[in-house]
Amino acid sequence: MMSDGRHTLSSFMLSTQLNYMAEENLLVPNCVCVLKRQVTNVLKDGRRVVIILEIDVIKPADASDKIGDPIPYSDGQSKGPQPAPVPESRPPLQPQNRNEGVDTNLKRNFAKKIPSALPDTPGGSSKIVPIASLNPYQSKWTIRGRVTNKSSVRTWSNARGEGKLFSMEIVDESGEIRVTCFNQEVDKFFSLIEVGKVYYVSKGSLKIANKQYTSVKNDYEMTLNGESTVIPCEDSCDVPMMQCDFVSIGDLENREKDAIVDVIGVCKSVDELTRLTTKANREVSKRALSLMDMSGKLVTVTLWGEEAEKFDGSGQPIVAIKAAKLSDFGGRSLSASFSSTMMINPDIPEAYKLRGWFDKEGHAMEGQSLTEVRGAGRSLLENWKSLADVKSEHLGHGDKADYYSCIATIVFLRKENCLYQACPSQDCNKKVVDQQNGMFRCEKCDKEFPNFKYRLILSANIADHADNQWVTCFQDSAEAILGQNAAYLGQLKDSNESAFDEIFQQANFNTFIFRNRVKLETYNDESRIKATVMEVKPVDHRDYSKRLIMNIRSMGAK
Amino acid sequence: MAGILDVPKPRINCSMLSQFISRAICFVGRVEKVHPTGKMFTVMDGEGKTATVELNEPLEEELSGIVEVIGMVSNKGEIMASTYNLLREDKGIPFDLELYNEALKVIHDFPQHYPFQVAASG
Repeated sequence: MMSDGRHTLSSFMLSTQLNYMAEENLLVPNCVCVLKRQVTNVLKDGRRVVIILEIDVIKPADASDKIGDPIPYSDGQSKGPQPAPVPESRPPLQPQNRNEGVDTNLKRNFAKKIPSALPDTPGGSSKIVPIASLNPYQSKWTIRGRVTNKSSVRTWSNARGEGKLFSMEIVDESGEIRVTCFNQEVDKFFSLIEVGKVYYVSKGSLKIANKQYTSVKNDYEMTLNGESTVIPCEDSCDVPMMQCDFVSIGDLENREKDAIVDVIGVCKSVDELTRLTTKANREVSKRALSLMDMSGKLVTVTLWGEEAEKFDGSGQPIVAIKAAKLSDFGGRSLSASFSSTMMINPDIPEAYKLRGWFDKEGHAMEGQSLTEVRGAGRSLLENWKSLADVKSEHLGHGDKADYYSCIATIVFLRKENCLYQACPSQDCNKKVVDQQNGMFRCEKCDKEFPNFKYRLILSANIADHADNQWVTCFQDSAEAILGQNAAYLGQLKDSNESAFDEIFQQANFNTFIFRNRVKLETYNDESRIKATVMEVKPVDHRDYSKRLIMNIRSMGAK
Repeated sequence: MAGILDVPKPRINCSMLSQFISRAICFVGRVEKVHPTGKMFTVMDGEGKTATVELNEPLEEELSGIVEVIGMVSNKGEIMASTYNLLREDKGIPFDLELYNEALKVIHDFPQHYPFQVAASG
């Protein structure tokens, strides 16, 4: 509340840049000050609110009381002296603003003057606020920022109706924020907004951010509505291109899988574009590139769709990715998802530092990859687990089967009932019924045959340093383990039992790389984990050693 | 000769030679040059560094490829070989010397997990 000796008016507010004056107790009751700059707003109910932009304290408060005998000012009135009201401190209208003081009739003594009918300045249309200061409690602001990311228009249709939306992220020196436009605003703004350009945005509405949909660092997110305006800004040099919090590639080992991170590095190598079909029978393009930074570590980054198709890795460019998804696929790898933004040779200091380092020493470095890359496609699927991990991580308990790779030794092979008589037809492996008349019937083919083919279903127990596991091996993997084909084994079983046993003895205690499938199966109210061997391979010692060394080193680093 | 076989022989590379002077060690490396007298040859380790190996008797055969030498480190940092063992290149998987070097580093970085001394004396 302020007084000019004649009237008091309690609708004074300090603008946020002057908050320090209240915090440092520069404005105390009964001090005398001069208002240098102000803006007067008229509220809907006709009351006037004065926002102080600049104020000087010219005389500190004495112990004495207020000067003069002011009365509350009411619009259009100028009453005579009345019993002086006690200058109370009103609770502020907005959290940050608090002001009490006494004004003498010096200079700008506007409380008494006829308030000029100032047009409603919307908090200063020329006054830009930092993005970091946006909150739902202020509606009159303008921000100036660069659009770093724009999604495509998405439509939805649900029980409540349908609509369309698009979203974008806008950044300035103070921070970033996610902005969404719905329905009509999509039409208004979608074509106007271009990624990389700077715009003035005002009068959007703010609400608490739904962190599920975005990794943008802001507690709030904005929606543009009918009153919002977006104006292109010409002078954009000092607005940063991107707000990034880069994680060193070496550090990625210490991050949790599924984390969203920003990375920057030199694209040391890039693979060819590949196409694959998803489970939903959709064709999608993908491309892997390997990124290296000053930690000397490499990581494989997977690009999808158009980004994969357009990517040009020639000349070993600096690649920066914002909001890449970290996965534990192959150890550690990154994926550029639909919400990631990729920049090639960005105009930021980190990029120049990397370029300089790479040209001097980085290019000669071999780099240690966090991702297991070995040959094409296939090996990227490996998911190395120890047999104890499989149990402790409850692999196979979900809806889908889980696949994993392990190195294990065969400790037991069940030779009883490892062979069955199967339909001799080419693609049919169904067990045939012995008709006891020299004929064998296959229910699936609905035919009888005078012969059959032997097929293997081998039950084995495999073990590693941590645990053991019963697994089932079908024809191919069983033949690989036993080192003989099913037909020969069938023959031996009937004719030379000791030779048959010998084969199993020999096969025991061999170590292989197993690729297994585990799934929870239910038989008559009972659920058990069943493990099947999809593939058996001899151990590649070099690869195994490299993996072990990598694991040791990463464990040692923790 | 018998004496050296009873003692634990840490595996080392060239950079560790100076730390094992007057001690029995095991060194694996690729044969570089054989001295004309046949009593000496140089070996290169997985890091690309070279060491000299001295033998008691001159070599009777041509030496090439990867060799495992067991001996003592002299004051001058040379290996006085008691015995050597040639790793055949025509059989089995090719020996990856760089990978062996990485493993060596791990063994020396984490001696608490690789207590070779205990195993040998037991």
